[in-house]
Amino acid sequence: MNNILDKFRHKNRSFYIFIGILLAFIAVGQFNWLTYLTHGPGPTGSSDMVPWGIYISGLAYFIGLSAGATIVGLVHHAFGRHDYKPIAIRAILVGLVCIFGATQFVLVDLGVPFRGLKVPIILHNLTSLFLVSSTSYYGFMVILGAELYFSIKVLTGKASEREISISKWLGILAVPYALWVVHAFTGSIFGVVKAREMWNTPMLPVHFVISAIASGFALVIMVAVITSKAEKRELLSSDTYDHMGKLLAFFVLVTVFLDFFDYFILRYSAKLEAMETWHIITTRYITTFVLNIGGLVVAFVMLLFRRFRTANGLLAAGIIIQIAIISYRINLVSVGQLAPLFPGMGEIQYIPTFSEILVALGLIAIVILLYTVLSIVLPVEETVEKPIHKVREYGQGFQRGKDAFSAPDHAAGVFEKGFHKE
Amino acid sequence: MKKINRRDFVKLASAAGAGSLLPDPLFVLRDAVDQIIGPKKTGKEVEYVPKPVSGAKFGMVIDLGKCIGCRRCAYACKRENNVSDSISPPYIMVFETESATGTTGHFASPEMKGKGTTMYYTRLRKDKWYMPVQCNHCDNAPCVQVCPTGASYKDPDGLVLIDYDKCIGCRYCMTACPYGARRFNWWEPHVSRDRRNPLVPMRRHGVVEKCTFCVHRTRRGKFTRCVEVCPNRARTFGNFNDPDSKVRKLIESERNFRLKEVLNTGPRIWYLTKPKDKHMQWYRPLPPFKNIRGIMHE
Repeated sequence: MNNILDKFRHKNRSFYIFIGILLAFIAVGQFNWLTYLTHGPGPTGSSDMVPWGIYISGLAYFIGLSAGATIVGLVHHAFGRHDYKPIAIRAILVGLVCIFGATQFVLVDLGVPFRGLKVPIILHNLTSLFLVSSTSYYGFMVILGAELYFSIKVLTGKASEREISISKWLGILAVPYALWVVHAFTGSIFGVVKAREMWNTPMLPVHFVISAIASGFALVIMVAVITSKAEKRELLSSDTYDHMGKLLAFFVLVTVFLDFFDYFILRYSAKLEAMETWHIITTRYITTFVLNIGGLVVAFVMLLFRRFRTANGLLAAGIIIQIAIISYRINLVSVGQLAPLFPGMGEIQYIPTFSEILVALGLIAIVILLYTVLSIVLPVEETVEKPIHKVREYGQGFQRGKDAFSAPDHAAGVFEKGFHKE
Repeated sequence: MKKINRRDFVKLASAAGAGSLLPDPLFVLRDAVDQIIGPKKTGKEVEYVPKPVSGAKFGMVIDLGKCIGCRRCAYACKRENNVSDSISPPYIMVFETESATGTTGHFASPEMKGKGTTMYYTRLRKDKWYMPVQCNHCDNAPCVQVCPTGASYKDPDGLVLIDYDKCIGCRYCMTACPYGARRFNWWEPHVSRDRRNPLVPMRRHGVVEKCTFCVHRTRRGKFTRCVEVCPNRARTFGNFNDPDSKVRKLIESERNFRLKEVLNTGPRIWYLTKPKDKHMQWYRPLPPFKNIRGIMHE
């Protein structure tokens, strides 16, 4: 316990201000959620005509982030890019906190949330995609947790040969599970609803998977850049950033391609409901529509240039991609329900209320806080630099040989093991 | 005892006022335990949902030629089923249209859009058509298919019902319903005690509810409330498995359609389109209601 507290002692004041702001957001959000529990979820902007609001958009977005974050494990383990190693465990952690955040979005959205905890075991209906996807979220949490455990064991050098290969295979297998089971089924939640023209398309699961990869991968890059900036050191080399930028550009290109053809086919099919949907997209929801397509195109063009495939450029592109994908989720969930089921229903409105936004911000703050605390508490990367500096500062030198400083890089680990703080 | 001056009193009162706005943590805790364990059973519960009638297949026929759009069905349904005032629109939505198939045929087409078809009419007109839309109790109900807990279920006698003790309020059924028939309790429902129907359970906040085809009446042999109050007898309810029933004869002899049949949901409400009397008949004495033929009743 003291060891864990020690890790927080060396933090500066701005860190504690940051944590304080997060805690304030969480407190306000959770307080608003408590009023839902006593008086019903009336303060949300949803209605009987638009039953799903920004919480379901948040669910889709966070599931996407967690599924996309696993891509780093695939690139690291399967494609042999070992320069991704410093962020490998961070990526697993991002996936874990994001899937947790997604389940919190579901919980907040439920009318009778504690009864909802009984869902996979006591209450179940096997034909429901909500059941399939929510069960797969629990499975994903277990897989990511196991991956994190074994990766940390490998990192601290306590793992056997068998455990090293287990951690590697979990890293690779998490990707198809995350994309095909977790995220494609989340897309199918919307895709199977034949009552809503905008949702009912077999493109939707594919679209969800691709946009998940783009947003999740971009988030991991953003985390790497922000960590480097906060700790004032280079976490990744410029070569790695370049490679990441190229990969991200490809994912963004596929996303924008699918986005374009989704809207194109919706408009070209010219079904009556589709026309109504298109009308809503191009009038009332034009902002999110432009942010979605425009943001992705801008990000793609940025990533084509080498000067933007640096830490700062990738951070900017990442922010643009996040805004674009959030816009896509809001557009999909809201506009899908806004097209009236019968023409006489009038113009259906959905405007998120202040309380709804506060709860959502509180949940996002929970995710950020969890990540911040866990990334400090858990050993997320090899601590090589600090012991060497210490040794050099006090002039004690290495005890095991005179030529320690001139030893090649790959041998450094052998010598430094003795200086680890255990 | 210390005397309370005005300043202290204002402080106390404002604290108490702020406190009353706070959600009660004890209530939340008790409610959470209730939600997980389930409501306590005393053994004296009213039988809200009688057992399905064997061999019956209920359904409704609505004659659009007779509907005058008075919305009596909607108001009576609300009283009969303990529907809270916070729920809007009611279970039965009545659309005013230019033609008999205005609600299905000319969906959002440029000619019809914004013209004529509306749910929010204030005057009844003889030259318009009126179309009540409610839960269709579909044979392949999408809401039953998507419900994660099995709270929505289809009974063999044709009714689609909701178990309020299983519903978790995810509202997937509401997005899946092509007819917009389901309602959610966004607020704690409130119906004054003297207006409550003892045969229908009160719902809690956070669960979904909808038309039940008045399960507490129809399974005991009575007609639904909307059928009883209709002043022009536009609605007919009955057992489709009974070859001599009125509903069966109506859909076999008259031109009819069902809502959004292309979605293959198998709705159990048929609409007749034959233009007949558009005149109100309620001043004429109508024959009194009997029970549904062949259904066991108390």
